[in-house]
Amino acid sequence: MPPKVGIVGVGHAKFGKRADATIRELAHEAVRPALEDSGLAIDDMDASVIGIAGEEFAMQGAPAAVVHDYVGMGNKPTYRVEAACATGSAAIRTAWALITSKLHDVVLVIGAETMTRVSSARATELMARAGDTRWEYPFGITFPGFYALMATAHMNEFGTTREQLSMVSVKNHKYGAMNPYAHLQREITLEEAVKSIVISHPLNLYDCCLISDGAAAAVMASEEKARQITDTPIWIKGLGAASDSMLIAERPTLTGLTGTRLAATKAYEMAGIHPSNVNIAEVHDCFTIAEIMAYEDLGFCEKGKGGKFIEEEQSYIGGKVPVNIDGGLKSKGHPLGATGVSMAVELVKQLRGEAGNRQVSGAQIGLSHNVGETGQFVFVHIFSR
Amino acid sequence: MKFGYTSWLPETELVNKFMEALRNNKLVGTKCKKCGQKYLPPRAHCKCGSTDLEWFDAPNRGKIRTYTVVSFAPESMSKYAPYIVGVAEVEGGLSLMGQLTGVTPSTLRVGLPVQIVAHQPDMDRVVYKFKPT
Repeated sequence: MPPKVGIVGVGHAKFGKRADATIRELAHEAVRPALEDSGLAIDDMDASVIGIAGEEFAMQGAPAAVVHDYVGMGNKPTYRVEAACATGSAAIRTAWALITSKLHDVVLVIGAETMTRVSSARATELMARAGDTRWEYPFGITFPGFYALMATAHMNEFGTTREQLSMVSVKNHKYGAMNPYAHLQREITLEEAVKSIVISHPLNLYDCCLISDGAAAAVMASEEKARQITDTPIWIKGLGAASDSMLIAERPTLTGLTGTRLAATKAYEMAGIHPSNVNIAEVHDCFTIAEIMAYEDLGFCEKGKGGKFIEEEQSYIGGKVPVNIDGGLKSKGHPLGATGVSMAVELVKQLRGEAGNRQVSGAQIGLSHNVGETGQFVFVHIFSR
Repeated sequence: MKFGYTSWLPETELVNKFMEALRNNKLVGTKCKKCGQKYLPPRAHCKCGSTDLEWFDAPNRGKIRTYTVVSFAPESMSKYAPYIVGVAEVEGGLSLMGQLTGVTPSTLRVGLPVQIVAHQPDMDRVVYKFKPT
C-alpha cells in the first residue's frame, strides 16, 4: 500500500474580477479559512508549496516568495510549482511527494493567480505564448483555437453537436450559480449559449472558461499527523500524471488527450478503483469540448459518446458521475494556479458532506482532473473519505 | 528574415535553412541518420538523442485533418483576424499546423486536399500556407 496523505483543511477565496486585491491578498483570503478549518496555526506548517502559473499575470517576478511571506510563513521553506493551467494540481502532487518522502509532515499548498489586470487580447496573447513559440504560435493559434481544432475533429469523427457543447456550459452555469465562490453566478439558457459570439469556430464565448483572479489553499499532512489533527481527513488514494507532445500537429489523435488516459489509468490503479466507482468528479473544462473529451478519456463513457453523456444529463447530480458541481472552470472561473487546488477544496467539502445545496449525497470517492496546455501537463487525483 | 506571422525567437541556422527552401517553394524536414525518425517541422536534434540528422524533401501536398476560424486573436495577431488555422497531414504521414488560404467557410472541411505554398505576410517574414488543390 502506498503511504497515505490526508487533506486536513481547505480554504477558498472568491473567484472573479478582483480589482480589490493583488495576488498576496487573494492568497491570504484562501489560507486563513484553510488554517481555521484544520484548527492549526501558520506556525504549525512545515513548508509551503505555491502554485502560480505566470509572473506576467501577477506583475511580480518570483511571485511565490511574496505570497509565502505575506501569509506569515516567515523562515519556513517554500517551493514554487508551475505547470500552466495544471499548476494547482502539480502543487498538490509535489506536497504529496514532500510528505511521503518524510521531508515535511505538514505542508500548506496555495494556488493563486491574478489575470484580469490585462486586456482579454493581452491575456490571449500571454496564454498563446505557452504554445510552441517556434512552430505553432507564429500562425496565430490561441488556446481556444487549439481546443477548437480538437472540437472540429471530434464533431467530424463522432458527430458531436453544437448543442451538446453548449449543454456542458448550461450545466456548469447551473451549478456555478449555486457556488458563492464562483466568478459568474448566473444560469444560462441553451439558446443563449448556442448563439453567443464566436471566439474560434466552432467554439463560441460560452464554450470558453472565464479569465479570473482567485486563490485556493489546502493543508496536507502525513497519515499520522492527519489523524492527530482531525477526525475527518480526506485521503489522497491515487495519483496519476502524464504528458504529451509539444506540437499538437504531431499527435496521432486530435479527439482526446492521451495524457488524460495515461494519468487516469495510473491513478485508478494506485487507488485500486474503476471509473464506475467515482461518485463525483472535477474535470478540466477550460472549453466545453475539453469536458466532453474528459468524460471519455477518464472512462466515464465510451470514446465518442461524450456528447451523448451530457445530453442524457449523466454528469448532473443524479446522473452516472456528477461533474463540476461547483461550476467548473466555465462558471467558477479559471485563475490558472488556483484551479487545481480549488478542485481539491470542492472534493474535500463534498466528501465530508459539507457542500450544502450542491451536495452529491453519499459521495465516497472523488476524482480531480487538471490539464495544463493541451495535455502537456495532466494530473489526476483520487480522493476518499 | 523571420518565420511566421508573429514571433520573436532568434532564427537559428536550422530555421534559416527551412525558410530558404520555403522561399523556393520547397518544404524540407530533417531525418535522423541513427534511428530514421523524420521531423517536419525540422529539429536540430533527434528525440533519440542523436545529433546526426540530414535534410529531406517533404511532399508539398497533404489533406486537412482539422481546422478552426480564429475570430478572437492574440494581441500580436489582431490585424490578421479572422483567419483559418488548420492541421494538415502531409503525404507520407507527417503533420503540420498552418493557416489556410483560398477557402471560404462553406468549402472548408476535414479531408480537404491542399498544397503547401510559401507566403510572405511582410517584407521580412516568410510562412507556408495550405491552399486547396
